[in-house]
Amino acid sequence: MMTRRSLISKLALAAAPTFAAVPREESHTLIHVFLRGGADTLNLVVPHADDRYYRLRPGLAIPKKDVIQLNDRYGLHPTMKPLEGLYKDGRFGAVQSVGVDNTSGSHFDCQDQMEHGDSMHGSPAGGGWLGRFLRLNATEASSALSAVAIGTALPESLRGAPAVSVLERIEDIAIRTGKKGEDSTKVVQALQAMYGAEVTLLGQRGVETLDLFQRVSALQGKAEAPEHGAEYPKDGFGNGLREIARLVKARLGLQVACIDLGGWDTHFFQGNSSGTQAERIKTLAEGLAALDLDLTSHRTNYTIMVTTEFGRRVYENASLGTDHGRGFALMALGDRVKGGQVLGAWPIQAEEEINVNTPGPGGLHAETDYRQVFGEVLNGCFSGADLRQVFPGVELKPVGLM
Amino acid sequence: MKTSRRALLRSAALGAGALASCERVVTQINRGLLGEAVPAKLALTTGAEIDADFHLLSRAAFGPWPGDVQRVKKMGREAWLEEQLHPDRIDDSACDLRAERFESIYFSAGDAYEFRKPVLRDEITRHSLLRAVYSRRQLHEVMVEFWTDHLNIDLEKGDCIYLKPSDDRDVIRKHALGNFHELIRASATSPAMLVYLDGKSNKVRKNTADKPNENYARELMELHTMGVHGGYTQSDVSEAARCLSGWTFDRNRFFALNQGESFFNASWHDDGIKQVLGTIIPPGGGEKDLDRLVKIVCDHPSTAKFVSTKLCKRFIRMEPPASAVETVAAEFTRTHGDIRCVLRALFNTPEFAASQGQLLKRPFKFMVSAMRALATDTTAEKTVLEPLQRMGHGLFQYPTPDGYPDEELPWMGTLMWRWNFGLALASGKQGDTRVELWRLAKSLGATNDASTWFSYLTGRTPKPEELAAFKDAEEAQLVGLILASPAFQRC
Repeated sequence: MMTRRSLISKLALAAAPTFAAVPREESHTLIHVFLRGGADTLNLVVPHADDRYYRLRPGLAIPKKDVIQLNDRYGLHPTMKPLEGLYKDGRFGAVQSVGVDNTSGSHFDCQDQMEHGDSMHGSPAGGGWLGRFLRLNATEASSALSAVAIGTALPESLRGAPAVSVLERIEDIAIRTGKKGEDSTKVVQALQAMYGAEVTLLGQRGVETLDLFQRVSALQGKAEAPEHGAEYPKDGFGNGLREIARLVKARLGLQVACIDLGGWDTHFFQGNSSGTQAERIKTLAEGLAALDLDLTSHRTNYTIMVTTEFGRRVYENASLGTDHGRGFALMALGDRVKGGQVLGAWPIQAEEEINVNTPGPGGLHAETDYRQVFGEVLNGCFSGADLRQVFPGVELKPVGLM
Repeated sequence: MKTSRRALLRSAALGAGALASCERVVTQINRGLLGEAVPAKLALTTGAEIDADFHLLSRAAFGPWPGDVQRVKKMGREAWLEEQLHPDRIDDSACDLRAERFESIYFSAGDAYEFRKPVLRDEITRHSLLRAVYSRRQLHEVMVEFWTDHLNIDLEKGDCIYLKPSDDRDVIRKHALGNFHELIRASATSPAMLVYLDGKSNKVRKNTADKPNENYARELMELHTMGVHGGYTQSDVSEAARCLSGWTFDRNRFFALNQGESFFNASWHDDGIKQVLGTIIPPGGGEKDLDRLVKIVCDHPSTAKFVSTKLCKRFIRMEPPASAVETVAAEFTRTHGDIRCVLRALFNTPEFAASQGQLLKRPFKFMVSAMRALATDTTAEKTVLEPLQRMGHGLFQYPTPDGYPDEELPWMGTLMWRWNFGLALASGKQGDTRVELWRLAKSLGATNDASTWFSYLTGRTPKPEELAAFKDAEEAQLVGLILASPAFQRC
């Protein structure tokens, strides 16, 4: 309640004395990667010291010889080689056994719950968790590009945001003249004349918007090579990350960027060091590493958080795949991340929990409520954020990731 | 029962849909027979200030449809307002033909669970946009938007998406120009509101330690009636929650005739004595406690003031003049919340008459007014609604119970998407929309004339510096630029 009122009074106050915009140079971007389909993170952050892992998935476990050792407990999938150095530098880390309290095992339910920042118990809140965050923490400097989603559809997590753009390329952000292929200079000049002549908040914000547009359009059409020799995967995910990097570099006030990577619902022939899932992991790791390399000169300006709706069960099924489970390893990358460690409870808790005869979701417990981690990441990215209405009723306790 | 009713509705919807799917047919019927056509001649306003009739149409409607200004000039503002205050007397069949094709808007709260969420979201949003653009009951639509914010429900919270269509129909639209008490009474027991503000779990069972859930009771006072400084205490909130306990919604209830509707569960009701805002509610009132409570809060002087202030913010200016609020509140009190009388009083204040151009159009109004001014032909598909999302004004998607704000700042970050919408709409590039500028230009008697288009779209003549910006723009771009101009963002 307080938040809402204080937001309005804050906005009113902000509007009153001056229209000066806060420099966007300080802005921080949360890059939210969602692995759709329920990623089997046991094969990403591998508990190589647990015999049960090897016993219960004889065909799918990552052989010890292939595991990139992080410590005496955990290691990475071999295709995650590009992230090894980041882990050692303390910029890449993970939290084990994170999850939603939803026990339905439904992709839809669990994604829906997670994106709305809800719990199966208690009263849900309105909008998506990022949408709520952006709406409730909007300032007078909030940019027209405060949130983007890469793709063609608005993710539920951004529902309710004050400004959100769904785009595939930066070139989608354009002042459209209405005529195909026509240069927008004339239209922009007209808008400049109209809004420049207005000595009101509307005029001021119009001029600022034009300025933003011009900074975006300066990026457009130039297929500038990624910096520092970064090589993005040549697919939709890689291209999307590359667009995000361009937006971060341009300092446009981007606060949240959402991007999906699908293909994690590995019920059949999942593979281990190589195979179906290994290809996905490779794409993810190469993409994140490329983004980080490309943004070397902007390292303090972004944090990447990788989540999925649920993990998968420890044991493999008869078709050499894995079925829906609960807990998963949430990963994060960035200067503000306390990396170089795998936090959270040991994923495989006790023998009876991984009973192969257990029907339905199970296998791994969800020890840490995902909202604890999301909240900590938001706090880490945007210090001073008011999260009481972002995750109403949740008492945020330190996880140690940020 | 359920199947046959659904089948029946579906065939009705299909009937409309079959026509609708052939959009040109609907357009032709509407233009040929039902009066949607652009008049052969459009008169222009010639003053340097926004024309008074144009002003009324910009506030008590979503802006003029071609010919509306002339119509008001002919019949007089008072007569026009009277007509609008009685929407049931206005034939709206052209709009019905466009907007009534959606199946889910006919369903009861419980039955709407048959639909998938994307379908429900799509249909209720399209329905709202089509009504706003095409209805001749414009004041009704404008008030629907007002009450939708006032009694905000976010589709994305819990099960609200299944329940909002019936709330939209049976609470908001039904009472939009009715009586405020009845509106609040209907909202209090609307399944969507019971879910959105947790009323459905407000229970005080006998011999238990149950504490009432106060969420709805608090918002009822803070947001729906008295306002945060309205003079109620925590004790009033708790006592109100006790009055409301037992009103619930359970779509899986067995053996109920009215399954899928809200109901009063007497065994969850706290039947002891209560005191709200100084009034004693004797024990044993049962479900009648709700009516007592609604009367107490709605009759409170703070409610008249709070609701009138909000109305003046929406319809006069964002910092409403105290004198106008006073006039409107007095009428609210005198008529016990007769919304028609309250609006009549508001639109007759001198403060209203003097407020031309002082409001910023929120994105929905911006879009609708542009589409109306250009007599746009659309079925409101995704390509039309998507820009609204970008402008931060997705319908039924405000996350907290206070509804989309009547402030300027929250809408200032998304001007680029307004410009693009205006430019694209005028040049026929905005997805599922069709405009015929040549037809309007012909009726206006001028082709590619910036001054003419500016007056037509904003209700006043342009200043020389405003005209300068439109130099050399050809027709579609000229119209697009005027839609993108600061002048068109205001009303």
